[in-house]
Amino acid sequence: MNEHENSQLEAAVDRELKALPDRPAPQSLLPRVMAVIEQRGVLPWYRRAWQTWPLPLRVASMLVLLVAFTGLCFGSWQLVHAPAVAAATSEASGWFRTLSRSLSTLGVLANALVLAVRSLGPLALSGIVMALLLGYAACVGFGTLYVRLAFARR
Amino acid sequence: MTDAQEFETFMRNYQDMVFSTAMRLLANQTEAEDVVQDVFLKAYQRFGELRESKTVGGWLKTVATNLSLNHLSRYRSRWSFFSDLFGRGREEGDEVEIEFPASDDVEADLARAERRELVEQALQTLPAAQRVPLVLFHMEGLQYDEIAAKLGVSLGKVKTDIFRARETLRRKLRLKLGDEGLAGAV
Repeated sequence: MNEHENSQLEAAVDRELKALPDRPAPQSLLPRVMAVIEQRGVLPWYRRAWQTWPLPLRVASMLVLLVAFTGLCFGSWQLVHAPAVAAATSEASGWFRTLSRSLSTLGVLANALVLAVRSLGPLALSGIVMALLLGYAACVGFGTLYVRLAFARR
Repeated sequence: MTDAQEFETFMRNYQDMVFSTAMRLLANQTEAEDVVQDVFLKAYQRFGELRESKTVGGWLKTVATNLSLNHLSRYRSRWSFFSDLFGRGREEGDEVEIEFPASDDVEADLARAERRELVEQALQTLPAAQRVPLVLFHMEGLQYDEIAAKLGVSLGKVKTDIFRARETLRRKLRLKLGDEGLAGAV
C-alpha cells in the first residue's frame, strides 16, 4: 500500500469510526449504580471511605492521628532513655543470640542442599528445570483457557 | 429535586457516552458495565463540583478511558500472549461480507444504521492490541505519542498496531479504496 492509499484509508476509517453513534447503555445499568449508591448511603460514616467523611470528622481524625504519632515518638524516646530498659535490652540480646544460632544452622543446611544439587549432574538438573517450566506453562495455559471461556463474548 | 434524583438525571444524560467509551475499548459488555459503574460512583463522590462543571463530559470520558485501560492491563495482560497466540487465526479469518447499499436508496437511513452496526461489530472483533490504539486515535483524539505513553509501549508499536487495525477493518468490511476514500463505505 502506497502513501496515498494509506492516507485515504486513514481518512476513511476516521470518518467511519467518528460517525458511529453512542451505544445505548443497558437498562439495568442505572438501577444497578443507584442501588450501590443507596447501599453506600445507609452505611454509617465510619464504614465509608475516609474521603467521604464529613469535613469536621476528617480534620478531627487527622488531629487524633497526629497526636497519637507524636505520643508514640515521645514515648519511644522516653523508653530508650529509661534505666529499666537496659535490663530488657540485655535479655533481648539473648534472644538475638538464639536467632543467630538458628540462622547459622539454616546456612549449613542450605550449603548441604547446594552440594546435593551439584552432585545430581547436569542431566537431572535439566530434567527438574524442564518439569518446572512445563508445570508453569500448563498453569498459564489452563488459566488462559479459563479466561477465554469466562470472557467469551455473549 | 434531591441529590439522588439529580444524579439519576445526570447519569441518564451521560451513561450512553460512558458505556460506548468503555465498550469500544474493552469489547466485553460485562466488563464495560463494571467500568461504567466505577466511573459513576467516582462521579457521585465529586458530584458537588461536577454538576456545575462545563467539562463534565470530558471528565467522564477521561475517567472511563483510564479505568478501561487499567482494567485491560490488570486483568488481561498476563493472558494476552496466549490469547493472541490462540485467537489470531480465528479473528483474522473472521471476515464479514458486507454489501453497502447506494446512498440514494430510499432506505438510506436504515442502511446507514445497519452499516454502522456492522462497523461496530467489526471493531469489536479486532484483537485488543489493535482495537485499543485505534479507538484512542480515531475516537478519543489522542496522538501517537500520547497513546504510546498511556499504553506503555513504543511509538513504533502504536503506529504498526493502528496500521494493522485499519487494514484488518478494511479486510473485514471488504472495503475498497477509491478516489474518494473507501468506495464501499460511502
